[in-house]
Amino acid sequence: MAANRKLHNALALLLIVALGLVGCRGAGGGAEPSSKIRIALVLPSTVDDMAWSQSMYEALKAVQKEMGENHLEIAISERLGTPVEGGAAIRQYAEQGYDIVIAHGAQFQQVVLEIAPDFPKTTFAYGAGFEAGDNVFAYDVEAQEGGYLLGMLAGLLSKAGVVGIVGPVEAGHTVKYNWGFRQGVASVRPGIKVNVAYTGSFNDVVGAGDLAKVQMDAGADVLTGSSQQAVGAIRAAAERPGVLWLSTEMDQSRLAPKTVVASQVYRWEKIVKRMIDLRKQGVVGGEHMTASFADGTLELRYNPELVGKVPQQVKDLVEETRRKIADGTLKIELPREQGR
Amino acid sequence: MEELLRQGVVVGIVATGVRLAAPFLFAALGEMFSQRSGVYNLGVEGIMMLGAFSGFLVTWTTGSALLGTIFSVAIGVLMGLLMALVSVTLRAEQGISGIGMYLLGWGLSGLLFRRYVGFITGVKGFASWHVPVVSDVPVLGPVLFQHNWMVYAALLLVPVSAFVLYQTTWGLKVKAVGMTPEAADSLGVNVNVIRYQCVVLGSALAGLAGAALTLGQANMYADNITAGRGFIAVALVYFARWNPWGVLAGSLLFSTVSAFQLWVQVLGIRFPYEFVVILPYVMTIAALAMVSRRVWAPAALGKPFRRGAY
Repeated sequence: MAANRKLHNALALLLIVALGLVGCRGAGGGAEPSSKIRIALVLPSTVDDMAWSQSMYEALKAVQKEMGENHLEIAISERLGTPVEGGAAIRQYAEQGYDIVIAHGAQFQQVVLEIAPDFPKTTFAYGAGFEAGDNVFAYDVEAQEGGYLLGMLAGLLSKAGVVGIVGPVEAGHTVKYNWGFRQGVASVRPGIKVNVAYTGSFNDVVGAGDLAKVQMDAGADVLTGSSQQAVGAIRAAAERPGVLWLSTEMDQSRLAPKTVVASQVYRWEKIVKRMIDLRKQGVVGGEHMTASFADGTLELRYNPELVGKVPQQVKDLVEETRRKIADGTLKIELPREQGR
Repeated sequence: MEELLRQGVVVGIVATGVRLAAPFLFAALGEMFSQRSGVYNLGVEGIMMLGAFSGFLVTWTTGSALLGTIFSVAIGVLMGLLMALVSVTLRAEQGISGIGMYLLGWGLSGLLFRRYVGFITGVKGFASWHVPVVSDVPVLGPVLFQHNWMVYAALLLVPVSAFVLYQTTWGLKVKAVGMTPEAADSLGVNVNVIRYQCVVLGSALAGLAGAALTLGQANMYADNITAGRGFIAVALVYFARWNPWGVLAGSLLFSTVSAFQLWVQVLGIRFPYEFVVILPYVMTIAALAMVSRRVWAPAALGKPFRRGAY
């Protein structure tokens, strides 16, 4: 029995070590100079998911590189997909005295707004969302803007006349993205078919791959989709000759260099820097920030390997539309519950 | 709605269903052997994840998906030995040790992925192999004979499992150990050896199920790639009343309903997608609730065996 308990303990220890190594990186404490700002990031998936979580991770890293490690400390917790798991980490970081706690997911809205009043000196941030609090920044992304541009590309590049969307969950900025995408397609080729379907999960990559295969079997030759599940769909698309993919959240062309034509890239750096600047001025929250083409927090990037295959007049038309979106002459409509 | 009833679409749904069933078949048939011998292994999900990862890693480094698959099975065997050590030799509470295996598998696969791969990338998995002649038969061809070998192997494993369980001496011993271990012991059957064999076999098949995901379906690896499929496989064993043909029926039902809901959405049939997405799960629960009226289970399921305890 003693051996039994010892083995249990050893197993438990092994588990804790294994999970701990994966779950937390860079969490450090100790005394630090007062000029140093400490940011904690709570992620629903992993820093290398090639999508939503990685986009924010890389932005934080870029800001850290710019400010220097002596001035910006970063702690990261990954794989906290649900508000309950995320909430525990958010509270812990606040208790440990982090200056800014970023909960990177729309699912954290409620839990952040609940925890924030307990730590009035801490800045909390979450996104995508728009309801700010006294010490809570909400950051949002006008995903429909790039969605519209990519939709135009889809409409103009599809030979079959069928375009497919591999959606994760019909919520938050994925709805805005899909909404914009469909309008973009309709603006260049009104009669074209856009098939929308959801996997029901943000991170089921295998499910997204299966859905992409069904979309292609149903005739789609240009596909798109958002969140970390999309990487599975991109791999599935890469295996069918002639099928193209349009990315969002990150430049995902490395995943499938001969399939991903263009990407809408989220550049969270500016949002993060704005939070830091505001905090330095004594503003701990209360603002709803938005990533858009107007301020350069959204970017349209072509895959250099495929850009040659996009006709010049198509690129010109997309670029002209991008400018119109950026200067406000073209407003992309949103579903009623999303429009504010 | 008419669109859904077109022959091409129906064939597409059933063919997709058969393809998606492979990982469930491997994992659930393995778990069935484990449970038949009296050990339920909730760690299938974690073992699948490790199997999926190791198969991917070896394929990514060597370029050979076959070698990757062999590694997936080998990792499954190792995990099975660990599970058997904890639950058979040390007689730990099986539910808890299974959850431990799950967390260990998830944690380790994530850790090793970051250490040895570090970014999401694809691999060349198994291509589909059209069986000569029969694959050209209308309807039946695309449904059954245009898959990769993993799907054929998974389907063939059903009659093989039935034969092993019902027609061989070893199968008889497995059933005896799971029903009345004391009686089996008194007849000279080494209860714990049989249980070791079954747990290891089950885990090896769970590892293979993982390879079916990374090398037969997705051709890539990402964190948490199984996304709950291992737990579905455990539920399917109950659904199947510990019978290989039941496992086949359950796996096909679940995966065909999954395929059906994908097509319903893609064809733009107006219906709240959330309801469609949960359909396979609802069907499984409903079927489970209906069959559980006639309760039958290996009598010694979950009970560690101690010689001379009576």
